[in-house]
Amino acid sequence: MRTLTFLATLIALFIAVPLLIVVPMSFSANASLQFPPSAYWLGNYRHFFSDINWMQPLFNSLAIGAATVVLTLLLAIPASFALVRHHFVGRGAFNLLLMLPMIVPQIVMALGYYMYFGSLGLTQSFTGIIIAHTCLGIPVATLIITAALKSFDNNLERAASSLGATPLATFRLVTFPVLRPAVLVAALFSFIQSFDETVIAVFISGRDTATLPRQMFNSFRMEADPVISAASSFLFIMVLACMLVPLAARLTKRATRGSLPAQVAH
Amino acid sequence: MNDATSLQRDTTLAKPAAPNGNLWYRLGTALAKGPAPLYLPAALFLLAFFIVPLGYVLVMSVTEPKAGLGNFTYLLSSRHFFGVLLETFKTAAIVTLCSVLLGYPLAYLAAGPARRLGGVLLAIIALSFWTSFLVRTYAWMVIFGRQGPLSQLLATLGWTPPPKMLFTSFSATVAMTHAMVPFMVMAMYAVMKRIDARYVRAAQSLGAHPLRAFTTVYLPLSLPGVVNGCTLVFITCLGFYVMPVLLGSPNQQMISGVIGDQIEQVLDFGAASAMSVILLVITVALFWLYHRFIGLDRLWRK
Repeated sequence: MRTLTFLATLIALFIAVPLLIVVPMSFSANASLQFPPSAYWLGNYRHFFSDINWMQPLFNSLAIGAATVVLTLLLAIPASFALVRHHFVGRGAFNLLLMLPMIVPQIVMALGYYMYFGSLGLTQSFTGIIIAHTCLGIPVATLIITAALKSFDNNLERAASSLGATPLATFRLVTFPVLRPAVLVAALFSFIQSFDETVIAVFISGRDTATLPRQMFNSFRMEADPVISAASSFLFIMVLACMLVPLAARLTKRATRGSLPAQVAH
Repeated sequence: MNDATSLQRDTTLAKPAAPNGNLWYRLGTALAKGPAPLYLPAALFLLAFFIVPLGYVLVMSVTEPKAGLGNFTYLLSSRHFFGVLLETFKTAAIVTLCSVLLGYPLAYLAAGPARRLGGVLLAIIALSFWTSFLVRTYAWMVIFGRQGPLSQLLATLGWTPPPKMLFTSFSATVAMTHAMVPFMVMAMYAVMKRIDARYVRAAQSLGAHPLRAFTTVYLPLSLPGVVNGCTLVFITCLGFYVMPVLLGSPNQQMISGVIGDQIEQVLDFGAASAMSVILLVITVALFWLYHRFIGLDRLWRK
């Protein structure tokens, strides 16, 4: 058991340490990838946040991600209802169709979109990237929402309608609130998928519609731009913050809950 | 039968609005009654924006530059392309093997005996999982770089000059393993979490050595998770683009990188499409095998 714990700690370090190296590198004043850096400064962040070549892709990625989430949910929520609650001709084929974007390698789709959007005039357009990212987002969103729908207690809806609620009111007041957590998780997944997607964006987004991953990918390939360290560290710290904030909230909640009776007693 | 009667009822109801029993109107009302408005948007969207571009690839592979199977006969007889396929399979196999070996202890501890440590391990796995591939790629560029910590360590240990590690298949393999361990752990954790700890305890109380109890009881029970993880990781690795292209050797590319070159530099869409079809066929065949023997829904049911 002790050797196992030791072994697992080593493996966990192999997973964690490379990620943590990104943060000190972002403060490096060296032009090259020297570690540990010989001097520190904030210049990389200053460049990152003031250079239009980095800020434009960041905002593009945020906008594309938001549009992808909306479109994915608009398509995946009804599709999930059809899959879970209805039997129709071609249901199996429909299910396969929804899962297909998860199976096909992204480089294959990058090539397909490159040629297809070329003929439609959609290369280097926001529309093209949003469409491609929506296709990629549909499988996971559908999996999450169908899973929630399967465990949904249909008696809740029957109770609502027997008490006189219209179908729309039932959906708004009963069904949707129960599904809301699953929908939020699906939204999060499709946003991150879009925000992180590199392969298709590298091939079909142009200079003006470049996403942040495309900009990072190209600056990896072209030159060793030190600003990339600030971009990487920024993305990593965002993830870290997203994980730590709920944890901190839970801890403070537990702490205040513990102290509340004591305060009442005073 | 049921559909036919409902269709009839619809037409009688719809008569005042649509005289002559307009076919499209009847079709429309019949569809509106069923689940079609729910599934048609997604189905049409995916047909128009996923199946059609995929069809472009299939069609281009047999029509560009001229109709026929020329691209495939050329590729499948080319020693260079055979080398690319071999490199792809070799890398995917090594990465899968390494990430099972590294992932299993983590998943085992997280799912079972060590609750506190398990939570920390899962948090680290999640942190890595959610961090962008490009950020992880950057980290490995620093680590394997000429002035990176690893080179310096090897130099101080007396290996001078330190070996070139960045832009070799070694650096790409390590980085891909690092990226795949979280997927592997999650797949195995999902299965291990459901293993009843009392089975192992029962084996031990009947006199089995802890190691024997593990190999004869726990390991077989956890195998479905191992198979799930390996399938996912192996298939993901076959089509991996970012890390092999940015960290790997330009002389030992994997298939995705070669497809990318064909698109960007050679502009040979026929060859790129044919390679894509080969990659697609291999991927789908592996999924089909998995589905045939284990069941595809197991892969996604968490």
